[in-house]
Amino acid sequence: MVEERIMNSRSAPAVPPTMHAAVYPTKRPQEISVQGFRISTQKLPILKADPIEEMTRKLGIAPPEMIFGDNYVMIEHEKSGWGINFNSFDALDRVDKTGQSMLQVAYSKEWQKSREKTHEGIKEVVKPFDWSYSTDYMGTLSPKAPPFEETSDPIPIELLTRPDPILFFDEVVLYEDELADNGIAMLSCKIRVMPERLLLLTRFFMRLDNVLIRLRDTRVYVDFATREVIREYQSKECEYEKVRQTLANTRGDVPALMRDANRLSEILPLVEKRSERVVLDG
Amino acid sequence: MSDLDRAIEQLRACRLIPESQVRELCYKARELLIEEGNVVSVDAPVTICGDIHGQFHDLMELFRVGGDVPDTNYLFMGDFVDRGFYSLESFLLLLCLKVRYPDRMTLIRGNHESRQITTVYGFYDECIRKYGSANVWRYCCEVFDYLALGAIVLGASSELEPTGSGMNDTTQSTMPIDDGELETEVLNSRGEVTMSTYRQRQRAASDISTDTQNISPPRDISSGSTQTGPPIRNGVPGTGASGDGNGSLATSRTGAVLCVHGGLSPLIDSVDKIRLIDRKQEVPHEGAMCDLLWSDPDEIEGWGLSPRGAGFLFGGDIVKSFNHLNGLSLVARAHQLVMEGYKEMFDGGIVTVWSAPNYCYRCGNVAAILELGEDANNGGTVSRSNGEYGRSNGVGELNTVVSPGRRYRVFEAAAQDTRGMPAKKPVADYFL
Repeated sequence: MVEERIMNSRSAPAVPPTMHAAVYPTKRPQEISVQGFRISTQKLPILKADPIEEMTRKLGIAPPEMIFGDNYVMIEHEKSGWGINFNSFDALDRVDKTGQSMLQVAYSKEWQKSREKTHEGIKEVVKPFDWSYSTDYMGTLSPKAPPFEETSDPIPIELLTRPDPILFFDEVVLYEDELADNGIAMLSCKIRVMPERLLLLTRFFMRLDNVLIRLRDTRVYVDFATREVIREYQSKECEYEKVRQTLANTRGDVPALMRDANRLSEILPLVEKRSERVVLDG
Repeated sequence: MSDLDRAIEQLRACRLIPESQVRELCYKARELLIEEGNVVSVDAPVTICGDIHGQFHDLMELFRVGGDVPDTNYLFMGDFVDRGFYSLESFLLLLCLKVRYPDRMTLIRGNHESRQITTVYGFYDECIRKYGSANVWRYCCEVFDYLALGAIVLGASSELEPTGSGMNDTTQSTMPIDDGELETEVLNSRGEVTMSTYRQRQRAASDISTDTQNISPPRDISSGSTQTGPPIRNGVPGTGASGDGNGSLATSRTGAVLCVHGGLSPLIDSVDKIRLIDRKQEVPHEGAMCDLLWSDPDEIEGWGLSPRGAGFLFGGDIVKSFNHLNGLSLVARAHQLVMEGYKEMFDGGIVTVWSAPNYCYRCGNVAAILELGEDANNGGTVSRSNGEYGRSNGVGELNTVVSPGRRYRVFEAAAQDTRGMPAKKPVADYFL
């Protein structure tokens, strides 16, 4: 069996697992438990050829260039069975796979014009899909999780700006793509756990050079004592040139600011916002 | 010790050379590169490398694993700069080595060797930061414009000399076929064999007798040459021997290997057409030169458009017919990150080689280089194409060439000086 697989050069090159372990020591998941809530994260290298092929088949689209398929962030409440996790597969499953919301790189028109003259035969876009990997992913809920209800209650910022000690902190990248050197798309997840509460931010950041800047944030707030969970989703975007002009009026380093999602978040206009909450059984 | 040797020593220590010296180096490099064709001919043995992306310490690790210059003959397939923190040190060292040992170092252009891309992805900023002005960036960009677009490797052996230092218990290997020849071998950075594949010897008895009679066979029957010394590699694309449609290019049992950064172009059906491009310019947004530096192979049939709205994808049938028409056995390219450091596609017709381990200091991938050995028969045996070659399908393909023996050396990121590196452990912050 092994022999067959290796003889067939189409199959992925086999690198023994030992070698892989040596380059990037496999870390056990990091975790912490606070007042009945268990928080865990896992960070591993990007996927190898075989798992990428499997993911491609299951998703129906090619995953991003840097796919951290084994990474996750998870929050669980044992007593109520509630849990939410953030992983790349489920995030990518929400990317448009039809090509309906497909963006085009800045020089696409110029490129296509020249192409039409020379290669009329090649018309078909292979496997169209939203290659910017834009996702409105808000996390994957455990099967037993009670449903969220819409709310107008905001996440209590004042409680999160207090300098409470941070018991646990991690930042986990789920995927990243350089958009074939036309910008960046990145989905990453940050979490900080304080003695009384936690905040998680999953951010999709996409900058298509000279075209568009897009930011989609999902925040999960948990108050341990009251077992209240608030989840908030915000989508912001703006044309690239408008953002550049706005920044040009400030005194900052414009190219650097164009890479700074935090700073861009302050400028980009809001497209959509929704909030929901649930109180878990004690 | 010459200034150049001193510069090499200094750059090896990851210390920059003065601006005036960079200017002089770039001038010399341009004089050298202008003499090179768009497609450089390189004789095996050669070690083929993919993207480096300013990961200087990993480039040092590459030289440690692959051998030092000039002991090892290197071919780098572009993307020396951007992304990593030491684009300047990496590129200037490679350029110094090119000027010092022009015949042992081949550099071809990647899509990042461009003014536009380097202003966005780090090299420009690095030049400003380290030299205080854009001068050095400008000198380097002028060199970029002169880099060759591809290379053809000639005289590679179809069979590898076994390394003989396998990790016996852990080696994943096909059983050596009786009288089989070693086709591919994967080695880790300690030089231990981790995988090897064999193929059946494809020569029929009649061939063998032919071979043994020809102690020193001419490479090309049509050349009728009786030269001594290094054989003149006739019959390679562009030497005028192409175009009779009967595969005269495949005069060696092992076809030539085309090396290019990105891939093929629908505008390019022969290697000769690459030679006609006027390459001394910024990488254009469209056209053959752009495609060679940007396109990607994909599991499709024929040509496809990238969903991004610019750029081509090409399938296995395209590679197969391109290789066939040009007497090639393999296209080696870089351009795409692969976790294992290399990835063969389309029945071994194309390979992606990636030489930046732990890309962007966070991907955790390994890197690889590809070694092609020299044909022990001093240029290979003449393929008689007697129909015995099409062993798998039973069809006598007249100009079937055999792929070269391929030795992949896989290596990991160097334990490096972490100044300027992103902290491994994220720093807790009061994000909102």
